[in-house]
Amino acid sequence: QELNYETGQKYIIEEITVAGETSFSEQTIITYSELRKGQEIKIPGKEISKAIKKLWNSNLFNNIEIYVKEIKGSAAFLEIRLSDLPELNQVEITGIKKSKKEKVIEENNLDKGVKVTENLITTTKNYLVNKYQKEGYLNSKVTVSTREVKDSIQKSRVDMSVFIDKGKKVKVKSIQFNGNAILKDSELRAAMKNTKKKKLYRLFKRSKYIEADYKTDLKSVIDKYKENGYRDARIVSDSLEILDSKNIALHINVEEGELYTFGNIDFIGNTVYSDDALRRLLRIKKGDTYNGVLLEKRISDETKPDALDITNLYQNNGYLFSTINPVEVSAEGNVIDLEIRIVEGKPVYFNDITVVGNEVTNDRVIYRELHTRPGQLYSKANVVRTIRELSQLGFFDAEQIGTNFLNPNPNEGSIDLEYAVVETGSSQIELQGGYGGGGFIGTLGLSFNNFSLRNILNLDAYKPVPRGDGQKLSLRLQASQFFQTYSFSFTEPWLGGKKPVQFSTSLSHTKQFLYDYQSREADRDKRFNITGVTVGLAKRLTVPDDFFTLSQALTFQHYNLKNYNTGLFTFGDGYSNNLAYTVGLTRNNTANDPIYPVRGSNFSVSAKLTIPYSLFNDVDYAALKDERNELLDVIADANNTDAQRTEASNRVGEIDQERFKWLEFYKIKFKADWYTELAKKLVLRPSLEFGFLGAYNNDRGVIPFERFFLGGDGLGSYSLDGREAIALRGYPNQSIQPVDKYGNVSNDGGTIYNKFSLELRYPITLNQSAKIFALGFLEGGTSYNSFKDYNPFNIKRSAGVGLRIFMPAFGLLGIDFGHGFDPVPGGLTKNGWETHFIIGQQF
Amino acid sequence: CSPYQKAMKSEEISEKFQVGEEMFNKGKYAKANKLFKQIVPNYRGKPQAEKLMFLYSMTFYEMKEYYLAGYQFDRFVTAYPNSEKIEEAAFLSAKSSYTLSPVYSKAQVETKEALSKLQEFINVYPNSQYMPEANAMVKELDFKLERKAYEIAKQYNKIAGYTGDYEASIKAFDNFIFDFPGSSLREDALFYKLDSAYKLAMNSIASKKETRLENAKAYYNSFKKAYAASEHIKEADKMIIDINNELETFNTKS
Repeated sequence: QELNYETGQKYIIEEITVAGETSFSEQTIITYSELRKGQEIKIPGKEISKAIKKLWNSNLFNNIEIYVKEIKGSAAFLEIRLSDLPELNQVEITGIKKSKKEKVIEENNLDKGVKVTENLITTTKNYLVNKYQKEGYLNSKVTVSTREVKDSIQKSRVDMSVFIDKGKKVKVKSIQFNGNAILKDSELRAAMKNTKKKKLYRLFKRSKYIEADYKTDLKSVIDKYKENGYRDARIVSDSLEILDSKNIALHINVEEGELYTFGNIDFIGNTVYSDDALRRLLRIKKGDTYNGVLLEKRISDETKPDALDITNLYQNNGYLFSTINPVEVSAEGNVIDLEIRIVEGKPVYFNDITVVGNEVTNDRVIYRELHTRPGQLYSKANVVRTIRELSQLGFFDAEQIGTNFLNPNPNEGSIDLEYAVVETGSSQIELQGGYGGGGFIGTLGLSFNNFSLRNILNLDAYKPVPRGDGQKLSLRLQASQFFQTYSFSFTEPWLGGKKPVQFSTSLSHTKQFLYDYQSREADRDKRFNITGVTVGLAKRLTVPDDFFTLSQALTFQHYNLKNYNTGLFTFGDGYSNNLAYTVGLTRNNTANDPIYPVRGSNFSVSAKLTIPYSLFNDVDYAALKDERNELLDVIADANNTDAQRTEASNRVGEIDQERFKWLEFYKIKFKADWYTELAKKLVLRPSLEFGFLGAYNNDRGVIPFERFFLGGDGLGSYSLDGREAIALRGYPNQSIQPVDKYGNVSNDGGTIYNKFSLELRYPITLNQSAKIFALGFLEGGTSYNSFKDYNPFNIKRSAGVGLRIFMPAFGLLGIDFGHGFDPVPGGLTKNGWETHFIIGQQF
Repeated sequence: CSPYQKAMKSEEISEKFQVGEEMFNKGKYAKANKLFKQIVPNYRGKPQAEKLMFLYSMTFYEMKEYYLAGYQFDRFVTAYPNSEKIEEAAFLSAKSSYTLSPVYSKAQVETKEALSKLQEFINVYPNSQYMPEANAMVKELDFKLERKAYEIAKQYNKIAGYTGDYEASIKAFDNFIFDFPGSSLREDALFYKLDSAYKLAMNSIASKKETRLENAKAYYNSFKKAYAASEHIKEADKMIIDINNELETFNTKS
């Protein structure tokens, strides 16, 4: 039947039938086609083609055709012929490891039951080819074929086989330049950041050929010329030569052009800033060698959001809609005259500031951290700072904090800003059991970083714990047969909600039992209890700048001994109290990631003081000191009888009880770290530390508590006496003990220490789910017992390498291998290799 | 072997449907859901699918899986525009979003979604039996958004002693009053706006003090005019005395 499209005639549909292999009911298909019995249509006409399109778009059918079976007068009999698209039955992937197959299936949606369209086959193939070329398999080949399944199930199904031939990894054997006279081949090769020649020692950046990277590298080559005044340099041609299945060679022909210099530079359109002010930012003079890259950077440096350039001058002072365009007005005699044309626009003020995506954290916790507020002049620097500080809260994924500028209104000079955040897990649970110290040790630690104390009685808020108020709560229980430790701490960063005054409190209680060497069990009658309370306030300061924090804390510790004789105390029954006030000042402007800072520094200085009781308690400590020294002589003299010596030793205990009833000391500490990005993400971190513990009354003496123990991983080991473990890798834990002028080594820690360290860090991955970086270090430290012996440069040196892994659920874990070049005090040969395991952020 | 266990293992899809429906009627929604889940792909495009999909959506709703319920009801509404259950499905979809709407101080994605779904429902079914409930939900959700904006503006006032930025609070309250003209929090908003302006003027540098005092005075007048019986009026009256005293020093100077 011959039908003419232009002169389509009107018909009434009398009947529609469906033919072909399909598992769908006739009624469904007809309904879906939107053709109805009794409908008036044109044949040929748009209704039929619309119906075919509709069925196509369902992605369920193949070979769709609509026929006119018969025409009787004005009645038309239609037939829809189609077949079901085959469903995917099984996928077989060959040529890659089993573990990788699942990912391929997942990312291409090759699940059982999906409809196999041509599109699915093509996208799968392209995806795989791209993926392997990106990994350097230039010659990868992928074939995708389908095979019909013949079985009793009526549905049409196919098996798919994906054959992947990755081929060999292709490396670039040589990169040759032609036509270059001014710049050497090696200089141009260095400019190519991602396409590298194959070399044995190239470890971090392996040689591979990726077309997209290569294209950007060609641009870098031209940029290299532009930086040197060759404004007209271009790549005339480039070719890729296949040497064999594993190697290629690149040939690049360049034309260098001539050398240009800067001529007159005029600013046009600037009313807010003077020519001089802008010229100071530009820092380019007439007669300088032309450098297009530098010019662009001084106008707008895309690589650094906080760069000192002309665009940022305007952007940080409200001129959001300003544009700055350098225009070459003359290039006569290879001298380029420039006009920098500036359109300033109106200064822009923020109208509405909103935060979205905070599914857990309450508004008040976020809004108080914002440095952009309604009514403020727009400033890019403040936006950048807000993003940085939001990421430092640790509640949001630092990589995913975004900003959206909404409703820009250049006429009124207003804009809305929306911060988009993505919540991230910030709670840690630690549950461990281990065998150590002669018995089983169990630990249960809970740490909630975004806790909500207000909701602690609200059962609905337990998902699984009340969260969202930015408070920190941690609980820790540790027990073995020899000791039990309970601790609890709570921190509220904005006490009262008006100012960032951090309130923290902690309680802890420790019970320690003496080891009975005969029964090899804990002797519960001999015990040592320590109970402690700390209350602290820390305040962010606004002067000298707002990176400073002033912290104050009051701590009280009560030591109680029952029948417990250790080296620490000369008395077995008794007590000691430690009431101290600590004041500290820190300045932290490290950025961006708290786990892996790349710039900034971190300083802290603190003083811990007790009341100088000896000034007013009328105890003659000088006499006690003399008496004690005499008694010590008695004990040391082997000619005395046992009874005499026991009596003397008891009296020493009494004197010490008097000395330690209320501990009296002051302690000064200083610590500084610097972070510098040497190359992309390669960070150098020098640091130094110093600490000093002193006595107000030299006759009363420096207490045996609160001392510095240098060496090893620096982990806060189980400490009875407020000791501070200071890390020094390459030596055993707490092994660097002070040596007095006679060469005697003590084992009760130092009162002075200092430490220098130099660390080089390089990230392996900075994913949100796992951050891993490698490091190399050089460090040295020493500790002394008095200023008389003190020599800060007589240090124990070490060097080594290590690895850190941070995962939000586990915190920071790490391992370091350190080599100690000096003997430990009391030793004769160098200490050699030590392995340190790190938990938490110590270094 | 219970009929449920048997149906779970059965190859027969009609048996699964039948047992699933029985389970649904008995209120055993989790079991019904498991059975329906198995047969949803088999019924795609078939006439019985309409009933199945509605029951399947209902099981999620009854199991308090509101995310999935909302999604399934939405799909039902688009897939079966002629269904007699469509009004109920549209309403339950909106109600699912309403149930998911969190406290005002967190992200309000679900609140906004529920509001737009409810608004659409109200437009399409103005005579629905669910109307009173829908209106009540709209009111509650609207107030949530109001409260959010209000509390943010109030926090700017609270932290201004630290940030020094009272203007932020004034601007945010202005935005609030503009965005929610009929709000029940308007009285408080006007008062805290006055409070911000008052504190800004009092802590101002000399060169800007007079204009800021005048501004605060204007805010006081409009507050007094609108809410003469406000619980804040005593505090406001104290402020105006201070403001007038300060203004006098400017008058005597000139």
